Amino acid sequence: MLMKSVIGALVALGLGVVPALAEYPAKEIKGIIQWGAGGSTDTVARAITPHAQAVLGGTIVMQNVTGGVGAIGLNQVANDAADGYSILFGAENPLLYKVMGLGDKDYSDFVPVNIIARGVPILVANVDAPFNTFPEMVAYINANPKAVKFGSTGPGGLPSVVTAMINSKTPLDVTFVPYDGDGPALTALQGKAIDVMPAVLGAAIEGIRGGTMKPLAMFDIEPSPQLPDVPTIVSTNPEFAEMLPWGPFFGVFVKNGTPDDVVAKLTAAYAEAATHPDFVALIDGRGFKMLSLAGAEAEEFLTGWQSTTSWLIHEAGMTKASPEDFGIVKP
Amino acid sequence: MDVINALLIPILDLKLLGLIGLGTFAGIYVGAIPGLSVTMAVSILISFTFSWAVYPAIALMIGIYMGGVYGGSRTAILLNIPGAPSAIATAMDGFPMAKKGLAGEAIGIVTVVSFLGGFIGILALAIFAPLLADFAISFQPRDYMMLAVLGILLVGSLSEGSLVKGIFAGALGIAIGAVGMDPLTYTERFTFGTSGLRSGVSFVAVMIGMFGISEGLMQLHTVNTAAVKQKISSIIPSWSQVRKHIPLGMQTSSIGTVIGALPGTGGDIAALIAYDHATRVTKNPEVPFGQGAIEGLVAPETANNAAVGGAFIPMLTLGIPGDAVTAIMIGALFIHGLNPGPMLMVDQPNMFWFIVSALALANCFMLIFGLTGIRVFVKIVELPRAVLLPAILLLSIVGAYAVNNSVNDVYWMLGFGVFGYFMKLYGYPLGPVILGVILSRLLDDNWRRAIISDQESLWMLLKGTLASPLSLVLFVSVILIFVSKTPLWGMIFRKRTA
Repeated sequence: MLMKSVIGALVALGLGVVPALAEYPAKEIKGIIQWGAGGSTDTVARAITPHAQAVLGGTIVMQNVTGGVGAIGLNQVANDAADGYSILFGAENPLLYKVMGLGDKDYSDFVPVNIIARGVPILVANVDAPFNTFPEMVAYINANPKAVKFGSTGPGGLPSVVTAMINSKTPLDVTFVPYDGDGPALTALQGKAIDVMPAVLGAAIEGIRGGTMKPLAMFDIEPSPQLPDVPTIVSTNPEFAEMLPWGPFFGVFVKNGTPDDVVAKLTAAYAEAATHPDFVALIDGRGFKMLSLAGAEAEEFLTGWQSTTSWLIHEAGMTKASPEDFGIVKP
Repeated sequence: MDVINALLIPILDLKLLGLIGLGTFAGIYVGAIPGLSVTMAVSILISFTFSWAVYPAIALMIGIYMGGVYGGSRTAILLNIPGAPSAIATAMDGFPMAKKGLAGEAIGIVTVVSFLGGFIGILALAIFAPLLADFAISFQPRDYMMLAVLGILLVGSLSEGSLVKGIFAGALGIAIGAVGMDPLTYTERFTFGTSGLRSGVSFVAVMIGMFGISEGLMQLHTVNTAAVKQKISSIIPSWSQVRKHIPLGMQTSSIGTVIGALPGTGGDIAALIAYDHATRVTKNPEVPFGQGAIEGLVAPETANNAAVGGAFIPMLTLGIPGDAVTAIMIGALFIHGLNPGPMLMVDQPNMFWFIVSALALANCFMLIFGLTGIRVFVKIVELPRAVLLPAILLLSIVGAYAVNNSVNDVYWMLGFGVFGYFMKLYGYPLGPVILGVILSRLLDDNWRRAIISDQESLWMLLKGTLASPLSLVLFVSVILIFVSKTPLWGMIFRKRTA
């Protein structure tokens, strides 16, 4: 017991001492995943990081810090020192925090290390739902207002954006049930606690293959190579084409002010990790589209995404403030 | 035949066998140190084992998981500091036993019943996995809410003395659990505008402070009395002693398996509900609950180990994690090129049987490693207080810091320690506070999900509850248990006998 305390104390000491001039990474890096275990951000972050660690020659300890549409995790990294020892694995949500009145920080407070991949949104239903396609669902909802339960992951998340797209074309009167992440929501869908869930293909693909959930429509302009039989929304409702392709994304970020050489090392590590055959296979197999953007390209992607999505949800009346107030230009 | 071959993989491969053994051994110690959790250890292992083949990586993780769940009971019994949330109920009766000089006996019986619970969980996984998985995911938000209410009713059993003080303590715990950003609406609650409170109060820090520090402070009152001599004659429990507790152990193992299989709950809630179950079904414990009842050890320890097998049930059949550790293992399987989901059992049946077999082996290693070395461990309690108390303080600080590498958590831990000390002095039970913190979110989130799902109509919620057999059973249980703890029950009971 005494022995253990001594060892514990030494470990704690080891974590606290930072050799000032040592080569990065001189100690364990903390990786904060802003969504829950088992969700898509979690899977992608945990899959790419071991490959990046191998290039970096350090250890990244991954931790899920969930809640507040991902803001709790984001704020935690934003409050840590800008030394590259606290990195954020985030999804698209923070780009909407300002217009949604959810927080005053977004990715403009961070340096993108790598925008890893983009997801394809898909609308899935539980297998007992009395409709099989998007038009059938719309007809059913119109006949039974409020009876259909949509899962949501809070304002600003993928479900809310896809819902905004749908509402901008065919307003739906449904009940939204909040969950903290797409993993728990899809579990609830399979347990019939909710009827429909806008999800990212990657999180739903195994359930669809296994027949535990039913695909209604792929929110993209072309069918997915992984599930070629699932109709795109454009094939039944061409009016959606103007908003697509759109998709959530996953990225690795460090706080602004992180030394350039640290950012460069992390960027190189994640860029190389993204080309690892195992990771490429995982991204393809789970229905994501690989991006692996860094530097100016990544900044441009983030700005474009923020502009498109902010105005979309603003025009759908879901925002608390106009994107104009934050200098977000209209696309 | 394929099944047998897959079951034999970890048994015949010396390297895999060794890794499972090593993992179990390491898990016991990781589990025993408060603040170091199995979840943390397994996450670290993902990064560490990504270049390995899939079997050795999974073997090591399974060993750590099984050993870690058991290991949490060690410090709970010896020092009143649960090594993990799932050992909280174990401290309630384990530590009083240590105070009486029976720490060795307590650890011995805990080891044996943990093995029993683990075994039942694995058996359920092997035989009923698809069935139990369908049952587990059919739990609706209202069912989770009622499960949380069942847990809250445990306040009745945990309040030594005054029930009013117990309810106060439980309510305080629920309020502490509600601090931070609300995960459903992104509204700050009880944060007083400070960003430090946005992510809430670390539950493990509250637990370590309330149990460890407050007990340490209490012991300062008697710092000069000699420590109780520990009996080390009857460490390995006799068969007759074990046999006596098998019926209860079977019931609480079943509770543990099911609660472990539920995607929204894990070993901590399983152990607490099992403890409550034990206080109800044990008519005449040799020693009252809370003062060192063996039944109070059997119930939580069978349940939390059974929850391990339970947690794998939805993971392996549907790709849905049963708890935080299996969620991480799903990630590990993805990284190793497998696709955990409903097709895993079809495409990779070997992986299923390999995991069953590895769990069974880890369970056996746990029994062996658990029973050896107890004699040395119990000596800790015999240390002079002048040595032991500073060691408890140090262990508590390291543990609270290790959770999030945050000094704030250390302050919270110390603050709650001092607060817990005063609560003890004035006769407020601490168990309900921890219970409230654990159940706060389960209760709150699912209550809101349930009422939102039913279009914010209580009438529809009640109708839904009565229409679903599962909800109805839970609803009736809640009512019965509630009534059984009020004077009303006594009145009805007396009338019948009269």
